[in-house]
Amino acid sequence: MSKISSMMDVGKRSLSNAQTALQTVSHNIANKSTEGYSRQRVDLVTNEPIGSGNLRIGMGARASQVSRVNNPWLEKQIQREQMNLGQAETKADALGRVEQVYNEQGTKGLNHQMNEFFNSFRELSNTPESLASRTMVRESASTLVQTFKNMNKQLKDVQTDLDGQIKTTTEEINQIAKEIASLNEKIQLVEVQNVPANDERDRRDLLVKKLGEKIDITWGEGNNGMLTITAGNTAILVSGTSSNELKAAHTDERDRVELFYRSTEKGSLFNITNQVRGGKIGGALEVRDDIIEKHLDTIDNLAYRMAEEVNYAHESGYDRYGKTNNSFFDLPKNVKGASETLSINEAIQLDAGKVSVAARPDSPGDNTIANIIGALQYQKVMDEGNSTLDDYYISQVGQIGTISQRAVKTFESQKNILDQLTNIRESISGVSLDEEATKMIEMQKAYDASARLIRTADEMFDTVLNLKRM
Amino acid sequence: MRIADKMQYNQVQKNISKNRTDMADLQNQAATQRRINKPSDDPLATTRVLASRTEEKTNAQFVKNINQAKSFLEFSDQSLSELTELLVRAKELAISQSNDASANAQSRAMTAKEIEQIYNQAVQIGNRKLGERYIFSGFKTQTMPFDISGEYSGDDGDLKIQTQKDQFLAVNLPGSKIFMGKGFEVDGMIRPGQITPQSIDDLEGIKQRELESKELYQEDQDSKILLRGPASTGSSNQIGDKDPTNGDTGVNIFQVIKGLEVSLKTNDKTGIQSAMDLIDQSVSQVVLGRSEVGSRIMAINGSQDSLQKAIVDNKIVASQLEDADVFKLVSDINKTDAALKATLDTSGKMIQPSLLDFLR
Repeated sequence: MSKISSMMDVGKRSLSNAQTALQTVSHNIANKSTEGYSRQRVDLVTNEPIGSGNLRIGMGARASQVSRVNNPWLEKQIQREQMNLGQAETKADALGRVEQVYNEQGTKGLNHQMNEFFNSFRELSNTPESLASRTMVRESASTLVQTFKNMNKQLKDVQTDLDGQIKTTTEEINQIAKEIASLNEKIQLVEVQNVPANDERDRRDLLVKKLGEKIDITWGEGNNGMLTITAGNTAILVSGTSSNELKAAHTDERDRVELFYRSTEKGSLFNITNQVRGGKIGGALEVRDDIIEKHLDTIDNLAYRMAEEVNYAHESGYDRYGKTNNSFFDLPKNVKGASETLSINEAIQLDAGKVSVAARPDSPGDNTIANIIGALQYQKVMDEGNSTLDDYYISQVGQIGTISQRAVKTFESQKNILDQLTNIRESISGVSLDEEATKMIEMQKAYDASARLIRTADEMFDTVLNLKRM
Repeated sequence: MRIADKMQYNQVQKNISKNRTDMADLQNQAATQRRINKPSDDPLATTRVLASRTEEKTNAQFVKNINQAKSFLEFSDQSLSELTELLVRAKELAISQSNDASANAQSRAMTAKEIEQIYNQAVQIGNRKLGERYIFSGFKTQTMPFDISGEYSGDDGDLKIQTQKDQFLAVNLPGSKIFMGKGFEVDGMIRPGQITPQSIDDLEGIKQRELESKELYQEDQDSKILLRGPASTGSSNQIGDKDPTNGDTGVNIFQVIKGLEVSLKTNDKTGIQSAMDLIDQSVSQVVLGRSEVGSRIMAINGSQDSLQKAIVDNKIVASQLEDADVFKLVSDINKTDAALKATLDTSGKMIQPSLLDFLR
């Protein structure tokens, strides 16, 4: 048999359901712009009806749980693409700077200075007697040496800059790992009561994406809802409620920052630099250790070979004072670092008259050696006699241009992929104000109606209580 | 598809930023008037631009070289033309004194005075300087090539100047050749050493060959017999024939003039007559030298023309590669501008209304 009191009870519960739903609407609206937020829904289910006789009377609805609308597989895909994006972005960024070192559209670079250098010898061969022409040769050589030094420095500056990026990124990684570990704990605490920890999970999903953007990670979720995250192959960043730190530090072997992992508080440091391929750090490492190193090697090689060839010709010539066997450049000891250590011979630095132009002693008009050095520009002295100095350098410019162009394109297409995935995610999990407004009206109406129901029940009570007086 | 608010904002943001990026890029191209502003804009074209710029500058240097060479050659030519005139005058004088009908010992002694002057002038021509350089002293441009006795202190060096990528040209005639008649080719032509060393290995090879020929020459010299005094030296010279006394194939102009002077002074009629032949040979020696100079001037004029053309061609190539196509650029800017405006316009419409705006 139906009871007025149970009607009141249904009304009361319905009132509170509507209120819960409205509060969730307000939570959604408030988090409309929160990064990584998934819209939440109150799951209403009908209450167990009461049987009386052959009637089963519905007992209204109850809110079973507040759940988030979310596709975990999509989140995983986004996380992976974000890792690629992080790598592509850092690469494109750093290569853009490397490219500027080689950019001669507007500034005078190595190609220009090398040409000036050889032209100065050609000018000298016009007037081999003149001290002014010799001084010109010395000056153009000193500009060339300076240009080599500058290029070397600019490339190394980019490397140092990447070192700094790796360091800051590592600190961010440690922060994030710590937060994920504490979220792991909260989620476990909440979910052990069989209640989904929506907001915490949203936050953790977001952090995992951010972590992946910085370094390549693999991760898995345990039965207790806790994530285990590994960076590279072996560095376990987060395991349950504890997190381990990465350390970025200079090493003794080379003056560059490397990545280390310490598994326990007192354990030894383990170098994981070679394991990292993805994320911002992976991109930075690739540019720093692979691309820039290669380009440094090539300009070292260029500087060394040029100095060697010029010296070889110069040493068989005679200077103004009839002396032979003068070096033009001080040849660096090693090819490695030649672009940095190359310098003009001190004797020539002090006296341009020591520039050797003649092939015979005491022949001030003899320009044979100047001609030979001028002709060096067209000699195939690089790549085992396959290319000239110019070709060798220009092909480097072309190469860095191509690499940089490819990196930018990869970055752009990666960004498009991610944009599309994010769009799909928003389409599933994003908050729509229209929707929330509709829901709000719906729930407000439900709230009104529930209140009306209680009043009706109240009036029914009154009616019943007043029966006798009538 | 369910459209969440954030999707709209993201899309608006993405589109506006894309249009703005395009616009900024086009604006940069318009401001620099260049299609390529960094290597990655077009790597292949960048390398070609760099190569053509190198070529352009090197060609400009070659033009400078050519101008220098030209003034040297023209100055040589002028000096040699004066020398020819002197020799022609000497010949006239010799003819006038070659028979007893119009000349006697006294007139010959007088003429000898003029010939002495001609000799001095010839030595002066041999010592001509262009700027600070003696033009007839080979590599020893700072040494006066001829003293008053006609002794040569220069060398046989050819001053070579690069006029094109693989082309060197000698700009001087060493005094030893044009005045002293040494080192002529068999056909009586003056030629610079054919090979210009372009590397030290070339140079070593050439030096080696020079050394060998010097030894041969020395052997040759040692087997010669010295004959009479200066008046008769070179007397049996014919162009292309080797002088038995010193192995020269040309004539020594100074000695020829000196010989005439001696013959005049000593009233030696046959000496004067034989000197006339030698003067003829001298004239043709100088004329051959001038023709060599002339042919070199022609050669570098040709080089100069082709270089000027190459410079212009290079500029065109570089411009085609790196310069922005202004018409296309402007039309692109207009297109992008229209797109940007449309994006902004529709964005305003898209972001503005939500259900909440209609609820009251």
